[in-house]
Amino acid sequence: MQNDPETPYTPGIDRRSFLKSAAAGTAAFAAGVSLLSLARPAKAAGSLADVQTDAAKAAKELAKGRAVTLRILEPSGSLGNIKPVAERWTADTGINVEYIEVPLGEINQKVLLEAVSKAGSFDIALPASFGIPDLAESGILVDLDQLAAKYEPEGYQDSIIYKTANYYKGNFYGYETDGDAYVMFYRQDWINDPEERKRYADKYGKELKVPDTWEELDQQLAFFHRPESGRYGGALFRSQYFIAWEWWVRFHAKGFFPFTDDLAPQINNEAGVKALEELAAASKYLYPGARSNGLFENFEGYGKGDSYANIGWGGTQKYLNGDKSGVKGKLTYGPTPGGIVKGTLVRTPYFNWGWNYVVSSLSKEPEIAYLFTLYAVSPALSTIAVRDPGGYFDPFRDEHYKDPDIIKLYSKEFLDVHEASMRGSIPDLYLKGQGEYFDVLRVNVQAADIGQKTAKQALDDTARDWDRISRRIGRKGQTVQWRFLKGLYPQEARSNLT
Amino acid sequence: MPQQSLLQLKKPRRPLSRMSRLPLRIALVLPSQVIMLLVVAVPTLIVLWLSLTDWQPTDNIPWFKAEFAWFWNFYDLVFDERFVSAVLRTLFVVAVCVSVELCLAVVLALLFLDEWPWRKIAVSVIILPMMVVPVDAANSFFMLFGDHGPVNELLSLVLHRPIAYAWLADPHWALLPIILAEVWQWTPLMFLLVLTGFLNVPHNQWRAALALGASPARAFFRIVLPLSLPVLLVAVLIRAIETFKIFDVIYILTRGGPGATTESISMFMYNGAFVYFRMGYIAAAALLVLFVVISVCLAIYRPLHRSYE
Repeated sequence: MQNDPETPYTPGIDRRSFLKSAAAGTAAFAAGVSLLSLARPAKAAGSLADVQTDAAKAAKELAKGRAVTLRILEPSGSLGNIKPVAERWTADTGINVEYIEVPLGEINQKVLLEAVSKAGSFDIALPASFGIPDLAESGILVDLDQLAAKYEPEGYQDSIIYKTANYYKGNFYGYETDGDAYVMFYRQDWINDPEERKRYADKYGKELKVPDTWEELDQQLAFFHRPESGRYGGALFRSQYFIAWEWWVRFHAKGFFPFTDDLAPQINNEAGVKALEELAAASKYLYPGARSNGLFENFEGYGKGDSYANIGWGGTQKYLNGDKSGVKGKLTYGPTPGGIVKGTLVRTPYFNWGWNYVVSSLSKEPEIAYLFTLYAVSPALSTIAVRDPGGYFDPFRDEHYKDPDIIKLYSKEFLDVHEASMRGSIPDLYLKGQGEYFDVLRVNVQAADIGQKTAKQALDDTARDWDRISRRIGRKGQTVQWRFLKGLYPQEARSNLT
Repeated sequence: MPQQSLLQLKKPRRPLSRMSRLPLRIALVLPSQVIMLLVVAVPTLIVLWLSLTDWQPTDNIPWFKAEFAWFWNFYDLVFDERFVSAVLRTLFVVAVCVSVELCLAVVLALLFLDEWPWRKIAVSVIILPMMVVPVDAANSFFMLFGDHGPVNELLSLVLHRPIAYAWLADPHWALLPIILAEVWQWTPLMFLLVLTGFLNVPHNQWRAALALGASPARAFFRIVLPLSLPVLLVAVLIRAIETFKIFDVIYILTRGGPGATTESISMFMYNGAFVYFRMGYIAAAALLVLFVVISVCLAIYRPLHRSYE
């Protein structure tokens, strides 16, 4: 295993240098993604500054003399982000927008059902980004390459930080509209408490600070866990839907890709087993609701102020930085902890959700639908969308991090960490059957966490089932996509992962 | 007019249509049987076909053009630990729920055999849970067994220390709220069926036994129970089939978790078919489950048939 605890630790990247190096490190990543555009048709001639005006004008022209209504399938809770944009769109184009709201966790299913039923019930959808491969394979998504070539101005996507989920097998299927990178939350006031600092230094012989490694985080969770006095180490997720994501980061931080180049799972190697054992051990230091709480209960629970650390997204911060929160102004933030690989600290921040604007292949107005997505994701309009305090969309463009309203909503300190995490994020498993691969992983990781299986057994079972899934779906095609996806990992991660 | 001429006035008989050549009893039921055949046979044939393919809607090909996979789905299912566990778990839930419901129903029915004041109102109250929408019932149990729900509050009061136990997240206890919700909601149905059975037992036999000195327990076990056995078996059969399909309670309470420790066969099939769209695999699972259900029903039906004979 590369991550040998005996290997001397080179302080490669602490939190501060992570923020700096993320920008540089992702230049190569951005270059990787931009390679995709080499194979795509040349860009439209319009100006980036006028993109929303040009998109609205083009849509108006296409709809001339007809009453056109666009139907958007959206996850419940995102209306706050979409509505202000859609209202401007209607004012600019005269094209109405209808909303079809479906439960958060069911939107990808609804889009896939559309592929089966061929009902043509929506024009635009906002599926979770990790489902794009399955949706693209089902034929329900329009390959947007030609439309983008026609309408997307040069440089339009340059300020979109995370673009990996927009592409599948080299084709362009949708615009990412939510910056869903995982970020860590810590109690600043607890870290700054002189008594705690002294006790920690006495006990572990090091300074109490935002942890750089998972090992350090686990140590701090144990240190702060005092249930007898109503204090808990953390509020990290242990419920089924979320648990595998933490393991995914822990595993990558030990220096490995989940598959070899030939699509052989290597999650059950020594590093994977250790990552799972550490995750399960850390569960002892979490608050009581960790195994049952979902997203909203998680940040509401952490907002009560009795836990030291938490993990979450921008939406978590919107709540914690709001008036209902009991920890407003008491937090500090960090990227997801890393691991020591070959003596160097390697961080693998993780983009694990996101929503993508896609166009239905059954839409009668695919061109107008595409123009709406171009309009909605434009720098100006997407900034309006992200400003909504109740919606899901988090900053995903450079412009968002400079907007005073967005800074006020999230706080500058959080946005710095968020932006750096976005720039250095490893992707989700964007393969056909992503849901199946991850479901198997979730069930087994949770089985290990609750002591039903050993870590080794759980990961062996997962690896066996992953092999079956790959065999069934078609190993050859999956291997091609995996190699493509691997090439889209940020440069820093790629150079440190095996 | 002579009889001969009357006969001549009759219209010449047309040759009989195929339908009218059928015996009346068959002709009467044939149209409905043909419709039923289409309603049942066509989907069954589609399921059968799908079970022999690897079809997924995500393949972007029509189901009838799916690649033939022979019996690989069945082979994979037999070795699919999660599927086998789901079947066994569902059978366990059926056995526990139906047994508890039957016992409770018998006890309740005995209390309601004789007339007493407010009896009718009490019956109405007892059958109320059955009227509740299953999703609402499940939601109530979700709140009852929440970390800070009434069950934990009650335990805290009794044990004099704060209890915030995550019942639904504990693999050893998560099935308990599910079973309790199911028993709470469907014991009333069992109660109604059992009560009907008991009330249909001829009173004179029972009273004669009591008059001749038999104890109430002896009269119950020797007369009431044997005579109402066919009704009890039908009640058990109905509830067993219904419980085998258990879905809403699990979906609301645990979604099959933690891990897959509360996943029923319906949850397994829902996830497979409508979350991961493995239609071929789940069609095969459905056929295997049908085989299991028929076997269980036959096991219950045999004694019922024997008791009629």
